[in-house]
Amino acid sequence: MTRRDMLWLLAAGVPGARAQQPSGMASRGIGPQPRGKPSGLPFHARFTDVAAQAGLRAPVIYGPDGRVDYILESMGCGVAFLDYDNDGWLDLFVLSGTRREGPVAGATNRLYKNNRDGTFTDVTERAGLTRQDWACGVTIGDYNNDGFDDIFISQWGQNALYRNNGDGTFTDVTREAGLLHEGTRWGTGCTWVDYNRDGLLDLFIAHYVVFDFQSIQATGQNPNCSFRGVPVYCGPRSLQPERCLLYRNNGDGTFTDVTRSAGIDRAAPTFGLTAMAADYLGSGWQDIYVASDSTPSLLFRNQQDGSFAEQGLELGLAVNEDGTEQAGMGLAVGDFDTDGALDLLKTHFSEDTAVLYRNVGRGGFEDVTMRSGLGVETRYVSWGAGIQDFDNDGLPDLFWATGGIYPEVEKAHPDYPFKTPRVLFRNLGNGKFEELTAAAGPAISEAHSSRGVAFGDFDNDGDMDILIMNVNEPPSLLRNDVSGGGHWLKVKLLGTKSNRSAIGATVIAAYGGRRQAQAVTAQSSYLSVNDPRLHFGLGAAQSADLEILWPSGLRESVRAVSADRLVTIREGAGVVKAESFPAPRQGR
Amino acid sequence: MRSVLAACIVLLAGTSGAAAQPPARADAASHVGKAVRLMQDRLFSDAAGEFEQALAIDPDNDPVRIEYATCLFAQERNDEARKQFEIERQRLGEWPGLNYYLGRLDLRANDFTSAIKRLAPLESNPALSNVSLYLGLAYLSAGQQARALECLERAARNNPRDPEVHYRLARVYSMAGRAGDANREYKLYRDGRESQRIAEQNVRECLEALSKQPLAQARMVCQRIADPNDPQRLTLLGQLYSESGAFSDAVEPLQQAVKLQPESFEAWQSLGLCLFRLRRYQEALPPLRKAVGLNPQYFGALTLLASTLHALGDDAAALPVLEQAHNLNPDDAQVTLRLEQLRAASKGKR
Repeated sequence: MTRRDMLWLLAAGVPGARAQQPSGMASRGIGPQPRGKPSGLPFHARFTDVAAQAGLRAPVIYGPDGRVDYILESMGCGVAFLDYDNDGWLDLFVLSGTRREGPVAGATNRLYKNNRDGTFTDVTERAGLTRQDWACGVTIGDYNNDGFDDIFISQWGQNALYRNNGDGTFTDVTREAGLLHEGTRWGTGCTWVDYNRDGLLDLFIAHYVVFDFQSIQATGQNPNCSFRGVPVYCGPRSLQPERCLLYRNNGDGTFTDVTRSAGIDRAAPTFGLTAMAADYLGSGWQDIYVASDSTPSLLFRNQQDGSFAEQGLELGLAVNEDGTEQAGMGLAVGDFDTDGALDLLKTHFSEDTAVLYRNVGRGGFEDVTMRSGLGVETRYVSWGAGIQDFDNDGLPDLFWATGGIYPEVEKAHPDYPFKTPRVLFRNLGNGKFEELTAAAGPAISEAHSSRGVAFGDFDNDGDMDILIMNVNEPPSLLRNDVSGGGHWLKVKLLGTKSNRSAIGATVIAAYGGRRQAQAVTAQSSYLSVNDPRLHFGLGAAQSADLEILWPSGLRESVRAVSADRLVTIREGAGVVKAESFPAPRQGR
Repeated sequence: MRSVLAACIVLLAGTSGAAAQPPARADAASHVGKAVRLMQDRLFSDAAGEFEQALAIDPDNDPVRIEYATCLFAQERNDEARKQFEIERQRLGEWPGLNYYLGRLDLRANDFTSAIKRLAPLESNPALSNVSLYLGLAYLSAGQQARALECLERAARNNPRDPEVHYRLARVYSMAGRAGDANREYKLYRDGRESQRIAEQNVRECLEALSKQPLAQARMVCQRIADPNDPQRLTLLGQLYSESGAFSDAVEPLQQAVKLQPESFEAWQSLGLCLFRLRRYQEALPPLRKAVGLNPQYFGALTLLASTLHALGDDAAALPVLEQAHNLNPDDAQVTLRLEQLRAASKGKR
């Protein structure tokens, strides 16, 4: 490393990396790989943003419009698909921030009730969820096993737990639950997880940086914080990272901080963002993966004795294949190669690729980013992500939202826009992906500065739609209209010995010679929550065999489940309900 | 990577005319000068544009084309880089430096057979110390795990301070189920990263001390950077002293650095600069000549060499060097003025 290199890093407040953005974010500083010839294959999913006509017109306030003074104002927040009233139709929960100068009229976290006709009604106030704060992450799950999903929100300041009263309203029970913490912390990733297999959802929380408006310098105050010569806020590497927290559910509505006894505090502090729990290693126990910004990402491996060992490095999930940490933002879990094992996708800063990790069993995970064709896309700061089969061809595709973090830079450098398009890679089925833009509908190329993303079927028409948080704009709701006749199957799990939400369950669907694994997660993407009903595109297959690995450890098999329906499986009892969805409505 | 390029350029330096150039070549040199400065600032895309203009004027300039190809390589403009390296390979034959880049481009293009074919003969070349790493990755990608391991183990021995090598090796051991070996390499990786982190912290503290404390106290802080076996850290320490005006303190680490890494342009140039600023002109001359030999397109080194020669009273030798600098950066008013003065003085002597 020459002195010039070193000073360049130091100017960024950036220790340790080989190639960094001069803003305090890790990036490899690489350009896109050349794109190959288009496959010419048709893509049968088409996305249209229907947010406005669906009634999602309130902007999500997050910091000032047109500039960012502090890192807190730039990170945005998550969104969630949930069914809070158990009517079988997905409702929406959209987090919100605020502005440092003071409260903004109308800014609040918002709950939208699904009207079952493609529109939503804002029921926030009626539900008791009005709140204006610096909300970041959300995790949805039935922590008290009463049959209704509850909401936990991580924030800068104090987090919040809302218990679902089962009558369309919620009660803030943060204090009674013992979840208030001392001082101000910046909670980001949060996920329900039954780490000790007692059938109760415990709570894991990641933190980003130690932050307060008084001691952190604003944009322009620190001459070392610039991007392409434009003064910007100081990135995380000039700030202090924080450790994660784990709360054990006591089963009486309260929680106990077990961070120390569970070994969570033995991991090095990082700039933690999205947290995602699943049984990544097929052990029958829940592990927790944390996307960390500009520091090694963390994989807390369940030791099956109430504790965890952080083994991100040993499992190949901490850094990229060069051994360099990346700016981990969003996470997705799925099975892109349909080999029955859960693979992972993590999104990063611009001038870097997302990383695709293939599960190789004993050795952990293998970085297959370049060989899978994802190296063609390095242009955007990337956030909420999903591994989902959008066109029902039986092959999971990849999607992520993007958005700049420095609105000021665009004025000086139009080639670094603040609002950028969405990214969609279709799965070609040979371990490779192909990036699509126009072929996937108009909503993919629309530019926003987006953060959280949730995937779910809000209109119950047998495909996966997408909800996206946009900074200081209304959210986007990308309705997917699939043609092509591919079959599908949705699986809803109800835990009995396991937590009722079945969070942490893995389902492997066998169809058409493939075995595709999916996990029920309580947070993924970027600080967001997906439809709890797992969606399998089946292609030409008209049925699938299902194998369920419940978080309790129970393995259950269900044979020959017919396609094109939602099946509800109760733990230990097999399919208890099968529903065909109504045909897509006319007029699309 | 820079050392590989330097090796190519040094070999070619003698082939490219320097001082008295026809106007077209002088124009080309000015584009090259700009490109080199842009490269120093990592503005690779802009630099590539300048190289293209230079080559449009002077298409037979091999060192410039190699710099251009390397600039494209750094931007991962792989097909364009390959095209330029291939032109040079056809012009110059099977040079190790060219095959090194072509082998790495093969690796990027997933042509592992070709990468192995190009890189394997280069393993014994001492100037290409990281070939074993890339060869190991090529073998690994080609499914030849045993050979990959051999190469990566050699890479770890050749570059024990490179955390990437240890990480790659650890991953291969992990995949092979060799947990003990993997854990050893993970530890070396962690140690390497920690060492980098500490080094960077030390640099930060040294900079702070040099700007705020008396030199005697700053010295104590900055000495933490020094590692008698690491030429890059020694160069860095010398440059930090130099930047703060402590030229006497800078000389010793830079002298150590050039001994350990005689192909380091940065170290020679910095040493020459310090000796020049200490008015030890006679001593400054060899390092600056070495620096210019390593990087004949670096404007700063040329002006410094010309100034040193002038200080020693050898204006005849200074003039062509300053001409060369002027060609690289004709917009520099000070150099232009000095050049006119030297030319006038030269004419007066005749």
